[in-house]
Amino acid sequence: MRTSLNEIKLIDDHLFNTGTTEDELLFDAMLILNPALQSQVMWQKKSHFIVQQYSRKKLRAEIKAAHQKLFNENRYKTFRNRIMHFFDSV
Amino acid sequence: MAQQINFGSTPAEREEAFISLYKKVFPSAAKYVSKMGGSFDDAKDVFQDALVIFYERTAKAAITLQTNEKAYLLGIVKNLWAAKFRENTLYTPLDMQDDMMEEEESQPSQNKLMHLLETAGQKCMEILKAFYYDNLPANTIAALFGYSGIHSATVQKYKCMEKVRETIKEKSLAYEDFVE
Repeated sequence: MRTSLNEIKLIDDHLFNTGTTEDELLFDAMLILNPALQSQVMWQKKSHFIVQQYSRKKLRAEIKAAHQKLFNENRYKTFRNRIMHFFDSV
Repeated sequence: MAQQINFGSTPAEREEAFISLYKKVFPSAAKYVSKMGGSFDDAKDVFQDALVIFYERTAKAAITLQTNEKAYLLGIVKNLWAAKFRENTLYTPLDMQDDMMEEEESQPSQNKLMHLLETAGQKCMEILKAFYYDNLPANTIAALFGYSGIHSATVQKYKCMEKVRETIKEKSLAYEDFVE
């Protein structure tokens, strides 16, 4: 893997605590020697946040699609009626 | 009774799993919410949030349930419903919380960024989702995305992270409000 990709792996190991103790010590030393690395860590954290938001949005769409099927398709009519019965008097 | 949870690895497999969980657990969840004075929409919102939480916990820790999945999921539903009263506030579904968090943190730049990544970098976002959110094994991801093996898929993961990171960095410096 090229150097910049190795750096991404090292930052991931640091963020997710998946490296060895030696890796972590080495990473701390690199942070001191290379201040630019600190900002790369920050951007990678932001990237993970964006990936999480994107993934959650996609998952929620899949759950909504499952809900739509259950509450619209004829084959689930019995299930639907059973649920709606709980809210008859509400 | 220990139970291993498996949501599969494709959207179709996940949909099947969600329909199965809906059939197994939603009747009890809806009955509970109705008994507590909630509406059908309340039951739907709280159950969908519970499914997101359940999925994320399962994906992150590959948990083995010591109780059955119905009891576990229903427990999340009851906790979410109780939180509504504990905080003495109207129930805010997770997706709205996400929106609120976005507003607090970085609106509107985050939406712009998300839109850009969804359109221009969708394949990369899907690969990163598979690795980091769905936490799928590298060999499954390699097969799903057509890579020759674990090494190629892993290298692609880091290339995608580099691409996304550089896009975020570049665009965030342009949309100043994303940088704290």
